[in-house]
Amino acid sequence: MTYFIFIIRTAIFDLYRNKMRTILTSLGILIGVASVVLLLSFGLGLKEFIRQQFDSLGTNAVFLIPGKIFNQGGGFRGGQGALGGIQFDDRDYINLKRIREAQYVVPVFTKTLSIQGTEKTEYGTLYGTIADIFPSRNLEVEYGELFDKTAVEKRSKVVVLGPSIAAKTFGNASLAVGKTARIDSQSFKVVGVLKSKGGGGLGGPDFDSFMYVPYKSAYVFNPNKTFLTMLLRGNSEADVAIIKMRMNEILLKRYKEDQFTISDSKEFIATIGSIFAMLNSVLVAIGAVSLIVGGIGIMNIMYVSVTERTREIGIRRALGATERDVLLQFLAESVLLSIFGGLAGLGFSYGVVFLLQSVFPAYIDLVSVLTALGTSSFIGIFFGVFPARTAAKLSPMDAIRYE
Amino acid sequence: MTKTTDSKQVSAVIRVENVWKEYRLDNDVVFTALKDINTSISPGEFTSIIGPSGSGKSTLMHVIGLLDKPTRGSVWINNRDVSKMDDAQVSMVRNEFVGFVFQQFNLINKLTILENIVLPTIYTRKKLAYDPVEKAKYLMERFGIGGKERSFPNKISGGQQQRVAIARALIMNPQLVLADEPTGNLDSKSGEEILKLLTELNRDEKITIVVVTHDHSVAKRARRVIEIKDGQIIS
Repeated sequence: MTYFIFIIRTAIFDLYRNKMRTILTSLGILIGVASVVLLLSFGLGLKEFIRQQFDSLGTNAVFLIPGKIFNQGGGFRGGQGALGGIQFDDRDYINLKRIREAQYVVPVFTKTLSIQGTEKTEYGTLYGTIADIFPSRNLEVEYGELFDKTAVEKRSKVVVLGPSIAAKTFGNASLAVGKTARIDSQSFKVVGVLKSKGGGGLGGPDFDSFMYVPYKSAYVFNPNKTFLTMLLRGNSEADVAIIKMRMNEILLKRYKEDQFTISDSKEFIATIGSIFAMLNSVLVAIGAVSLIVGGIGIMNIMYVSVTERTREIGIRRALGATERDVLLQFLAESVLLSIFGGLAGLGFSYGVVFLLQSVFPAYIDLVSVLTALGTSSFIGIFFGVFPARTAAKLSPMDAIRYE
Repeated sequence: MTKTTDSKQVSAVIRVENVWKEYRLDNDVVFTALKDINTSISPGEFTSIIGPSGSGKSTLMHVIGLLDKPTRGSVWINNRDVSKMDDAQVSMVRNEFVGFVFQQFNLINKLTILENIVLPTIYTRKKLAYDPVEKAKYLMERFGIGGKERSFPNKISGGQQQRVAIARALIMNPQLVLADEPTGNLDSKSGEEILKLLTELNRDEKITIVVVTHDHSVAKRARRVIEIKDGQIIS
């Protein structure tokens, strides 16, 4: 025990004696560990962010999308992909409404359009849909009211705005109700403003910037009377499976198997999860390159240290230190140097994540911490062992004579 | 190597048999530093190895002290053939059996005086029957450097540094102390004090001492003088 305390104490002492060198050498590991940990935490955060977004859409949701997006085993499919090929229409909507298990069948036409309020003109996503969009997506009204079935049938020029687009275009969300909004040169009466749903940023959908209008009123923007997607919702997970099966049967009567995708939120999250896992491993591999560079820095400095301390090695060997003793001494130094960099990198990452958490749900999990410490220890051993072996193999006599 | 039956050889602390040491120089020329050296050192002897610069005396000391391996021949320590030992065993012999005193003192400047003296005890595999720190303090008092425990080597005089080196050489109670030009870096007064100390250790504690020197006045302090020239023992 005394021996190991001595080895570690000597290593700490030597690192402390060369403070600036220690800090600069550790910097390489700090950057490497921080990049790996931060990339992992961003990946986790992004996954969490998307999961939250889907959760907000409600459970037991089923989506119908044109084209074939996913392969059977998950992952994006090549060739004619998302949104390729067919467009759904009223006939599909009517057909799908026959599925008894579906609590809601909501057709959606979307288009990005400008909206002019009393204050400002902005761009937002228009949703041409039915009144069921609100309960099916757990959307609640904050000011005014939601449009109903009759508004769709009567083709009423009414719009329900997301709170952020309402605030941007009318100065304050509460002031929008009752006012006229010009959506791409068409006048719509703002009947309601929704409660905030969050989202946006990172290329994800910003639900608070959506404009909901009855789909028949949106024909003015949609002369072909088509829908981009259909959203269905069941009462239970069992319903979801049945709904998917029935949808498939119905749609195959009209379209080919590879012309549409039926997916539920769980499947979507799983697929996105696997895509992120792959993306993350690529990013982490890039981060790992900087760890290797840091490791080479350690190796370089340890070789310098061996040269500087050749005489000391000779003295220690003359006093009875074995090759193993010398090896352990230098290895302890490189591992400590590396762990010091690893801990600093981890601390830095915690700082960055803490600052980011107000805008993005990034977080550092135990796996990231263990990966950081494990990798930095490994780097210390791997890149330290070569100079340590050089030190251990020095001839005691040559070392002690070294000037 | 056959076992010797000579009683004097059996009791030798160190026995060197037919030892050659050759170095291959850059231009492929072989330089012979030691030529067929045969000698033994008995327990309690005070021996000096004398010879001019380049005669091979330091090489012989390095071979005897197990810091270097002979090209040919064998070195026996307490009747154990060193050539059959691995690094750990050789290190253990260096640690427990030999104490070194060098011309350049060879203290580690970043360690305190006390840490320098107890350093060999860190590397020992045997359980010590004494407290190394207490023993170090005792040796320091005895050699007139008491109170310098927390000083660093570069803060004390050359004579004091050599006393620290002797204390370090004695901390493991070695059978043999090898001193390579121990007075070479000291003024005559300090040198005399160091030689007196080595003589006392030999006389009072029966420690076997081998002093390597080029200085006849130093060599004559020993009871036995081995003279070496051009890598060969001449007397």
